[in-house]
Amino acid sequence: MTTTAAPALAATMRDGYKDYGHGEAAVRALDGINVDIARSEFTAIMGPSGSGKSTLLHTLAGLDRLTAGSSTIADTTITSLSEAQITEVRRKFIGFVFQSFNLIPSLSAKENITLPLDISGADVDQAWFDEIIGILGLKDRLTHLPAELSGGQQQRVAVARALVSRPEIIFADEPSGNLDSRSGAELLGFMRRAVKEFGQTIVMVTHDPTAASYADRILFLEDGKIVDEMREPTADRVLDRMKQMGH
Amino acid sequence: MFRLAVKSVRHNPKRLILTAIAVALGVSLVAASHTFTNALSSGFSGLFSEIYAGTDIIVEEDPEASDDAEGDPFAAVEALFTADDVAAIEAVDGVDVAVGGIQVAGSVLPPATDEDSSDPFGGAGGPPSQLFNWAGIPEIDQSTLVDGRGPEADGEIVLDIDSPERLGYALGDMVRVATESGVTELELVGTVQFGESNSLQGATLGYMAESQAIELAGSPDYQGVNVLVEEGADASAVAADIQEVLPEGTRAITGEDKVAEQTEALDDVLGYVDIFAITFALISLFVGAYIIVNTFRIIVTQRTREFGLMRAIGVTGRQVRSMILLEALVVAVIASTLGIIAGYLLALAASWLVSIFVGDIFGSMTLPLDAILWAYGLGALVTLVSALLPAIHASQIAPMEALRESATSGKKPLTTRNIVGGALALLGALLVGIGLYADFERPYIWVGAGAAMLVIGVTLLAAQVLVPMAYGLRTLLTRMFKVDGKLAANNIRREPRRSANTAAALMIGVMLLALVATFTESLKTVVTAQFSQTSADFFAFSGQGTMPPEAIDIMSEVEGVELVTSIGVGSVVVDGVTRSLGVVEADTIGEAFDYDAEPPLAEIDGGVYIAPPLKEAGVEVGDELTLEGPEGTETLEVTGEILLDGDANLMVDWPTGESLLGDVEVFQSLIVLEDGVDTQEAQTAIQDALAADFPLVVLQQPSQLEQFANQFIDLLLGVISALLASALVIAILGVANTLLLSVTERTREIGLLRAVGLKRSSVWRMITVESMVMAVFGTILGMILGVGLGVALVLALEDFGFDGATVPWLWLGVYTVLAAIAGVLAALWPAWRASRLDILKAIATDG
Repeated sequence: MTTTAAPALAATMRDGYKDYGHGEAAVRALDGINVDIARSEFTAIMGPSGSGKSTLLHTLAGLDRLTAGSSTIADTTITSLSEAQITEVRRKFIGFVFQSFNLIPSLSAKENITLPLDISGADVDQAWFDEIIGILGLKDRLTHLPAELSGGQQQRVAVARALVSRPEIIFADEPSGNLDSRSGAELLGFMRRAVKEFGQTIVMVTHDPTAASYADRILFLEDGKIVDEMREPTADRVLDRMKQMGH
Repeated sequence: MFRLAVKSVRHNPKRLILTAIAVALGVSLVAASHTFTNALSSGFSGLFSEIYAGTDIIVEEDPEASDDAEGDPFAAVEALFTADDVAAIEAVDGVDVAVGGIQVAGSVLPPATDEDSSDPFGGAGGPPSQLFNWAGIPEIDQSTLVDGRGPEADGEIVLDIDSPERLGYALGDMVRVATESGVTELELVGTVQFGESNSLQGATLGYMAESQAIELAGSPDYQGVNVLVEEGADASAVAADIQEVLPEGTRAITGEDKVAEQTEALDDVLGYVDIFAITFALISLFVGAYIIVNTFRIIVTQRTREFGLMRAIGVTGRQVRSMILLEALVVAVIASTLGIIAGYLLALAASWLVSIFVGDIFGSMTLPLDAILWAYGLGALVTLVSALLPAIHASQIAPMEALRESATSGKKPLTTRNIVGGALALLGALLVGIGLYADFERPYIWVGAGAAMLVIGVTLLAAQVLVPMAYGLRTLLTRMFKVDGKLAANNIRREPRRSANTAAALMIGVMLLALVATFTESLKTVVTAQFSQTSADFFAFSGQGTMPPEAIDIMSEVEGVELVTSIGVGSVVVDGVTRSLGVVEADTIGEAFDYDAEPPLAEIDGGVYIAPPLKEAGVEVGDELTLEGPEGTETLEVTGEILLDGDANLMVDWPTGESLLGDVEVFQSLIVLEDGVDTQEAQTAIQDALAADFPLVVLQQPSQLEQFANQFIDLLLGVISALLASALVIAILGVANTLLLSVTERTREIGLLRAVGLKRSSVWRMITVESMVMAVFGTILGMILGVGLGVALVLALEDFGFDGATVPWLWLGVYTVLAAIAGVLAALWPAWRASRLDILKAIATDG
């Protein structure tokens, strides 16, 4: 592990390859990916189905292993770590927001939010906690079980959980995919605020141009390769680019 | 439909493996017991044929005419036939030979040695001796001469071929034979072989001339007559003719019929063994039923969408139900088949073990048809009945359920469950109470039915108990195991029904264990109390059943012996009912044994004391009772009562006993030493004094007897624990099964936990804590119920000397620790699976 004082890059991948299956049936999901995720930036990864965008997120986040190449989180090369060490890295540096089933059904909203801290045995920074739930509007919902929350509220709890430990980087996989457009817009607005106001780094996979337009930077993926990059996107520009890709 | 069911089982066999093992374990007990007893039965009927079939007709006491059903079962067979009777039988048409048979009560001793025998069991230990008169006709003696010659005159004996070597004699030696009248020395003139293989299971067989047998038996009469018919005569016709000349209360039976009769009697006994084994098998299957219910419930929940889809495309609810029941049947058939195979192997192993210790007493080990029928019948019945409720539940799934987001089971309130459970538990407790305390014909039926209802009731209520308990435990577990403990507590609380059923399966086995432990521990207290009643230094018994009077005289003359007081037994008829009678030496008994009598026995004053059974029959102190004994009838005043049950019904002093019974048979003597005499030295002195003439008299110190009794009680507990082992193993499998299924159900949740940083070891710990909580909870419930029932049982038996119940704390502690360990073991497989889940697959799983 090498750590510098203030790393400029939250996550990187060099020559990342990922194959599924063997021989004839082998499928190359990532085909020589080189990517740098800058700190305090909201990055979106877009691409058609089967382009490898979810695989890229999973390998960057250490949920899945690369077949070849290397990747880092907070200047730690995770590709050479053991399973237990990667778990440690995820716990320390990463927050997750999934499309669905983000919460443990038997834990209350509050317990779900503090789960990463409970797991690592760290104390809750109460001021920070209050600020997050204030912004996310979850104050009245803390004692509720997930089943008693709306879809939008559940996803906001998930975002709060991702934020609470101030991770180096948050990975979000279609966070608004299951929400109606208003709740989706609200959620993405919160995520954007987290980047702007707290300097949080977020990487989000989506196929929705509107969702992607909340990001600072969009990476376009096709057949396991990064084919384009866009800064300061708008929904229209994204839609045009996607059309070019035959989506 | 059938194909669909088979496919479903084949598609996902893992979730049914443990269910199948549970059924197979229960079934294997049934199959094993049937195979085992079947082999025993055929083995013994072979032995009976060897004994009786050589003789054409046996003349003996008619068992139906014998009235001493309540008498001493160890009493020697009465001598019923005189020489005249034998002559009369021989005169019957068709009879070739009739020979009277005498059995001498006695033991063949090893040669006398000079060394001082301090072994308290002396020559009385080991297998008994069978001594008969020698007819010289192989069909009647059932033995053939191997070496030397038969016993022709007084002072001669032959032994079976194995005994001389074992005891240390050679042909020509003087063999020491102990009988009631002392030790006699007889010359060994030959050896014989019993039957075809001399299989005597270690007993000593000896024959002597008739006159010698008569002398040692002390009576010229015969206990039975063996008859050979003439060539070509019909044995049963001759037997009928012989019956005509026989004295009353005796009969003539052909050898073949005797074999059949003995085999039948043995089969009756073995039938009880089967019932005993089946009882434990049923307990196992009852526990197994809990697992089956749980498994199918969980499977139905997991497949809600599948069933909803089926309903949507037009499958009827009834078809869904039949499909699940068919699945259950497939499981039952496979499991029962495995169970039968396992049971057969178990029976083989058991018979092999028994053969090592007892010798080969088994016939061919075949799998009897009734074992197969019972096994499949019970296996299928239990599985189908258990799957019925989940199947009905599945048939009620609406097509709309297919479209629902997640398959979380509806949070039905526990109200109905609680009401039914409470009612069942109360009713069960009531029935147990009635069975124990009310005087009904067959109390065990009440107790058994009540206990079963109580168990089911408590199972239902347990779900309600679990919710607040898991809540309370959450804080404790969170403190002990951090977030892993918290999650485990939550998981238990989330599915209270499932957790309760799982825990309850274990509860049943532990309940029975705790019940037996409470009973046996209380029994030990009684034993201790009993022995604390005695102030005697030794109990003296005879290997032949009754103490020879001369032996008592010898003992009382040994230096250091203060007094010897004897207790005799017999039976008398009071108001038409046969009662056991104890005879004591009223003036000395108090020095050696403190009967719990009111007033003390010394004040018996020629009257009679009554024990609780007679009090219950309405007799009171001050009444007059008429006792009809074999030698006389006495009308006596009831001068006191014995407060404890379990001894003789009536107690009289020695002179009264003699006038009722004639010579009173002493079953034990109590010896009190003078103050300051060393017990060990005194024992050696007494034993030495007896050695010459009465080597079969055994001295035991009360503490040794107490130890022996306690060992026996421990053995009882051990045997029952071993028999309950399969029920406990099944229950532990149940815990594993429930966890395995719920791990599958929680795949996504576990994946999420792993994604946000929960380590594999933490996942493992979470499942283990869950398992331990369920196991310990079930065990504690079981112990509460078991100790409760045990205490109720002990209190109901207060008349038998139980003085309050003893809670077996040590055992309860052991059970709790074992339960926690079992919990860890049960979690192995589920925890391994949970911790190895592929995170990506887990978070991608549908539904």
